[in-house]
Amino acid sequence: MHDHAMVLAGVPANKFFFDAKTNIETSALVSGYYGFDSLAAGYDGYNIEIEALGGKLVYGENAMPTIDFRDPLIKRPEDLEKLKNKKVNFRKDGRFPLAIEHSNLSLEYGFSTAMFCSPFSMAVGMRGFPALYRDIRKNPKFYAELMTFIVDNVIIPWIKVQNEDTGNLMAVGADAWASVPNLSVKEMMDWVVPYNQRLIQKTKKYGIIIMGSTGLYSEERAEKFDPKILHGSFDVELASSSVPAIMFLQGHANEYPLQSVRDYTAKAREQGKKFSISATVNAQLLRDGPVDKIVNKIKETIDIFARDHEFNMILGNIPTDAPSDHIHAAVAAVHTYGKLPIADNLDEIQFKMPKKEPFNEWRKHNA
Amino acid sequence: MIKLDKNKILIDIKKAVLTGEDALAQNLARKAIKEGAEPIKVLNEAQNAMIEAGELWKRNDYFQGDVVLSAEAFHVVMEVVEPLLSSGEIGKSGKVIIGTVAGDMHNLGKIMVIATLRGAGFEVVDLGEDVSIQTFISKIKQLKPNILGLGCYMTTTMMEMKEIIKELQKEGLRNNLKIMIGGVPITQEYANEIGADAWGKDAFDAADKAKGLVGVK
Repeated sequence: MHDHAMVLAGVPANKFFFDAKTNIETSALVSGYYGFDSLAAGYDGYNIEIEALGGKLVYGENAMPTIDFRDPLIKRPEDLEKLKNKKVNFRKDGRFPLAIEHSNLSLEYGFSTAMFCSPFSMAVGMRGFPALYRDIRKNPKFYAELMTFIVDNVIIPWIKVQNEDTGNLMAVGADAWASVPNLSVKEMMDWVVPYNQRLIQKTKKYGIIIMGSTGLYSEERAEKFDPKILHGSFDVELASSSVPAIMFLQGHANEYPLQSVRDYTAKAREQGKKFSISATVNAQLLRDGPVDKIVNKIKETIDIFARDHEFNMILGNIPTDAPSDHIHAAVAAVHTYGKLPIADNLDEIQFKMPKKEPFNEWRKHNA
Repeated sequence: MIKLDKNKILIDIKKAVLTGEDALAQNLARKAIKEGAEPIKVLNEAQNAMIEAGELWKRNDYFQGDVVLSAEAFHVVMEVVEPLLSSGEIGKSGKVIIGTVAGDMHNLGKIMVIATLRGAGFEVVDLGEDVSIQTFISKIKQLKPNILGLGCYMTTTMMEMKEIIKELQKEGLRNNLKIMIGGVPITQEYANEIGADAWGKDAFDAADKAKGLVGVK
């Protein structure tokens, strides 16, 4: 929710994304305002490594930094050779120091992980999606070379430094580019998962646990929803993490039939597999509302999963201008219906919309 | 020299665009023109390929990567035929100005929208990425498009769309212009809220909606 926290608290982007203390304190303040159960703090996680390697970013006054896809770091295959010869200091270059400090400060609030951009999304950041996809089709040898470089020479040393400097054993990867509909399930299995597994295997010897986010079904057209693709995407997710966990956080997740998720978990259980589930309220629903729809979606999700799965709700994708009432309603719904043990009939529980002050009033006596 | 079958070349052009073989598509387009094929027929085959790509996309048989390659192959065929088309053959559906709003560098969605709009018979002027309000205004004044297409990828930059529409109203440019918006964070509710005329769920939906806005079937 970093953009939302930044705008709600009136912090300029050039401070929020460059000063770990400001970022954490702002995020903690906004997390407290909404009553989250853990700190929700972050930064532009897709950019850190690429920026430190010399990639061009654009720094807006009011927006998160973004990779300049007009001028990619690897314009042609020869550029990879130059990059291989570049000496990178994973403690000093770019905003690596910010990321390390961010992790250490997060620990003071009880929660921290190492962060990295996953191999495929980093390759997109270096090449641009069209060029990278063309590499897959026309120059697979170069694609393999690039992905191997990213895993062995960028992500592993970066996670190692974070582990040494923060003590974090879990590393969370961001991989929005590796998802349907950008790629098919087969393409992810053939071209993305092998490099995620290489990362998992190679970091295992340092005791690192990789929590990937490859394969989150991100289809925006609800009418294109296909349970086979959802299940294939879950297979990709599970193959891309050291821990057995599935998430349905992206796309029009709020409109997917949740029974399809349950069908997958039921089948897996028959085979003796068990994993945790993380769900969210779709970002657009959180923004557009109405409150009733948000509350009912959370109630339905808890009803289906919370009794017999290790389950958590993540309100991570909060759009910049989502009304605060919507977020308060979502948190209250989780706390109302998610109370353990989960009631047999959630319809019997009355939901009360909490009365909350506007953020700027609240902060006067809570900051 | 064996004379090439013009119909076969046209079929091959469609196939090359559909499968994203851009170099082949461009070579075939050049050959077809050299052999006397009418440029408009070459264009029509490339457009048909984009329509078919859209059908495959809707059926989950094509994914973004496939569509991007088709869009690029379509683009290189256009490079060959566009200079040879008569003024009545270019942009018969209307003119669209398109750009990604200020602060946003993402262009993948825009690349695909441009191809589907051209495939649907629109003339498209691409203003690029990180486009300022002033640039949009001055280009609209200069080129008088039927439709303005605005794209964004981040929830911080989507708010820029609202400012652009306000500015167009202030400048008296809004009444004769349809506005379409698109990008990951956009919804129909947001389009309604800021006074846009349409929201394109994806590149193919954008082309369908654009035709609807200008009354083209």
